[in-house]
Amino acid sequence: MHPIFVRRSRLILYLSVWIAFGLLLAVVLIFGGQAPAMWSFEFAVPIALALGLQSLSFWYLVQALPPGQVSLWRMTLIWCVAGVGSLAIWLIVAYGWALFLLAPGEDYPDSAMATLPLLIFAGAIGIILAVLGHYLVGAFQRSLDAEKRALELQVLAREAELKSLRAQLDPHFLFNSLNSVAALIGQNPAAARQMCFLMAQFFRKSLTLARERAIPLSEEITLVETFLAIERVRFGERLRTKFDVAEDVRDVAVPPLVLQPLVENAVHHGVAHMLEGGEVCVSARRREGLVEIVVENPCDPDRPPSRGTGVGLSNVRSRIETLAGTRASVDVDARETSFRVSILLPAMNPA
Amino acid sequence: MIEHLEQIPNIEIVGQASNGFEAVKLAEELNPDVMFLDIQMPKLTGFEVLELLGDRAPIVVFCTAYDEFALRAFEVHAVDYLLKPVEPARLAAAVERVRERLANRTPSPSAQALSVAARPPGKLLERVLIRQEGRVHVLPIERIDFVQAQDDYLEFAVGGKRYRKQQTMSDLESQIDPTRFVRIHRSFILNIERLARIDLYGKDSWLAVLSDGTKLPMSRTGHAKLKELIG
Repeated sequence: MHPIFVRRSRLILYLSVWIAFGLLLAVVLIFGGQAPAMWSFEFAVPIALALGLQSLSFWYLVQALPPGQVSLWRMTLIWCVAGVGSLAIWLIVAYGWALFLLAPGEDYPDSAMATLPLLIFAGAIGIILAVLGHYLVGAFQRSLDAEKRALELQVLAREAELKSLRAQLDPHFLFNSLNSVAALIGQNPAAARQMCFLMAQFFRKSLTLARERAIPLSEEITLVETFLAIERVRFGERLRTKFDVAEDVRDVAVPPLVLQPLVENAVHHGVAHMLEGGEVCVSARRREGLVEIVVENPCDPDRPPSRGTGVGLSNVRSRIETLAGTRASVDVDARETSFRVSILLPAMNPA
Repeated sequence: MIEHLEQIPNIEIVGQASNGFEAVKLAEELNPDVMFLDIQMPKLTGFEVLELLGDRAPIVVFCTAYDEFALRAFEVHAVDYLLKPVEPARLAAAVERVRERLANRTPSPSAQALSVAARPPGKLLERVLIRQEGRVHVLPIERIDFVQAQDDYLEFAVGGKRYRKQQTMSDLESQIDPTRFVRIHRSFILNIERLARIDLYGKDSWLAVLSDGTKLPMSRTGHAKLKELIG
């Protein structure tokens, strides 16, 4: 949309500038062209407004010909054509208006044609000023837009940072584990102590690993095993696990904490909702020159709607893509009774 | 928690449920004074349990490990809650407040309002729970063909079957995905995927014809809303 129409005050200001231009033109006509005063005002102000409205169309040309991107002579040529065309249209409008102002039966006086050079001159100046004005507004708008975009980018970067921080430590997991410890202390102090060790191991490991850009898959698997050991204290027999990691992929590089959120989802959105529990399967093998890592779990078709914000999975996806580019992919196969995430990534060794 | 509860005098634990359905069933059978309810449970969330129990719900103390949106809703609606791990002192204080509520017969907040307030921002209704003739029906939102308002309840049409629920039209409308469900009439909300065609029916009135042949009346504003959505 044309920026003039965005706010009414802008349109009023714009039109009043053109009215002032019309008044000036009338004065020039009276003193320079010896035209009658009343007629001059009646004639000049409306045609000045007409030129103003006509000039609004320059905005689109300004958008199409941004300064610095089109060669100067080409720009000059286009503007000359546009300017002359616009001037011609305006002169026709002015002529029409002059005819309209004639009293019925009156003929157009020959002497009136004497004002033509004056009109051409005034029109040309008006058009040149309008074009320059439009370029000025365009430049202003562009600098505002650039500023806004820079801010938006900053916000996005912050958000990504925040999300990755949040993904590293799910508060649910922390508090639920503490709850299990609190419950175990009374009934089974040895298990409670074991749980504390496991939690210390898990948090220490995830804090160290999170600082790296990429880690060997085996490290991530160890972290996930610790995680599952902690959850098994809470879920008992209901949580079963199966690892099937081929020997030749244990050293490939993966972004840190990329499986952990997937396994966490498998437990919290999958097995946790199954009354009789279920098995979380983690497997990794080479496939067609790539490495395929799969996390799979059963789920209850009637599980209650998740209260999560769904950042876990999208976070994993974006991190896999930043590490490995377009050759990597994350596929989600969500069925009624099972959920499967498979990551394909090129086999790289951690630096 | 049971361990700590047992140490508080004049408390009897009448039942324990391991999932949402069981919680609803036990609460109805045993009619307890208070129910300690987890938010995250298999089958149903704590909010859904409360909703299904309706007027028959006892006083509820919610338990959660961490749920910022739920906590905000509890504060707003003055609902008691406990954070896990539960400290014995806080548990005792919560029980004390329950006793006060029982003595004063403080009315409980509406389950609907509470579950709406506790929904994380941007989350829309994913399923409708209906209790009819002693059975709980879970209707995933995409299976609903249309909803019809009757006197003081709603009728959900799902594949030729009708399910009734005590709820108001505007309440449902505020929770449901507005790009998939349109209120085409004062008494009808339509799943736009079920729409087969629109028939003109006199001046300023239309009929929505569904893929199974059902015809629903459409108001002028409803028609405009639908047009805007499907283009």
